[in-house]
Amino acid sequence: MDLSQAIRDKARELLETGAVKCVIGYETGTDGINARPAFIYEAAEVDRLIFDETCGHNLATYLLHHRAENIAVVVKPCDSRAINLLHGEHQIERDKVYIIGVVCPGVVGRQWGVKGRQLLPACQACTDRNPVVYDYLVGEPVAEGAPAPAPPLPEVEDLERMPPEERCQFWRREFERCIRCYACRQACPGCQCTECFVERLEPEWVGIRIDAPQNWMWHTIRAFHLAGRCIECQACRRACPVDIRLDLLNHKLAWEVAQLFNFRPGMTAEALFPLATFVRDEKLGVGEWASS
Amino acid sequence: MSYQPRIIGFLCNWCSYAGADMAGTSRMSYPPNIRIIRVPCTGRLDPLFVAKAFQEGADGVLVAGCHPGDCHYAEGNYHARRRYALLHLLLEFLGIEPERIRLEWVSASEGKRFTQLVTDFTEQVARLGPCQAVGGQS
Repeated sequence: MDLSQAIRDKARELLETGAVKCVIGYETGTDGINARPAFIYEAAEVDRLIFDETCGHNLATYLLHHRAENIAVVVKPCDSRAINLLHGEHQIERDKVYIIGVVCPGVVGRQWGVKGRQLLPACQACTDRNPVVYDYLVGEPVAEGAPAPAPPLPEVEDLERMPPEERCQFWRREFERCIRCYACRQACPGCQCTECFVERLEPEWVGIRIDAPQNWMWHTIRAFHLAGRCIECQACRRACPVDIRLDLLNHKLAWEVAQLFNFRPGMTAEALFPLATFVRDEKLGVGEWASS
Repeated sequence: MSYQPRIIGFLCNWCSYAGADMAGTSRMSYPPNIRIIRVPCTGRLDPLFVAKAFQEGADGVLVAGCHPGDCHYAEGNYHARRRYALLHLLLEFLGIEPERIRLEWVSASEGKRFTQLVTDFTEQVARLGPCQAVGGQS
């Protein structure tokens, strides 16, 4: 049975029995090519649901807007880690969410015109094919080896090799395109503060002007607030209208967190976040100046 | 006059600020390039503060607190240690030389060490010159 049909059948069952009020899934967008999020409230509407390689959005983010109701959501493996993240941070109640996990074949970027089949670089490197948490699984689970920590993306390594001035030039060119629409924040399941630091006026951390220092501030702190929490679903990158390489910043921090603390966020809901805990006698070998 | 770096020092109230005070009351001198901001604990120090310092034109940021094990709030500096390891790596990745950021442990009795530290750090930052990474600031 194909993935779309399996999702439709489950959605129909859930809506007909009244187990959930809404099923959040994907449907074909108005261009007939790219998928878009779909919110299905009626069993008669379930045939709109699809799943294909354009289903890139992380739908777990929408759970933050539907906290009061029972909701079913279609998730890929990376999105399922976002559910663990939100559950672990007490942002959602697990028993109000019905998770339809999809064994993920990888997704493509936004398609213009003809459908392409080139998977996103992150998906090509990804080894997580099965959702880490689900109530109902769509597709045949793939046998997975021990989760080996993925090597850093080649582009991250290239940047690390550059002298600081060149690296700084690279980021300046990236950040100067930013129009500070905050689409990256809206798309991110981890960005769920009710009042974001950029909107605080007292003190005003980031000015309203769109210029190099203000943009730098936004991107630095956005990345840092996701340190040890980013599940690298690429939602921010996909949402960015000017194609800023936010994925490189996130990947750098995720990789360093894995190295320093042997931690991958979202693998379980119970895990303690590395920045919320400490080990008394640890030597991190970075940051602390080598005075001892 | 030669280039004078601007350095922001975030000192914890209980150890490092008292250490700086000790340097003062002992009439020891250290470079006036450092602008000291007193914080309750290094654990209070939001990475926003450090980013904001660079954004507003600082050339270097010194963070100093109680030695591990001596925190007035028992564990604030342990949290700071983890946070600053990651912030350090992030800022380095963004093109700020790692020598511009320093996390140190200075106790209330280490006035002499504080003057030495500020002298060394000021020289180190002066050698790097003005911080250009954030851009757009005079």
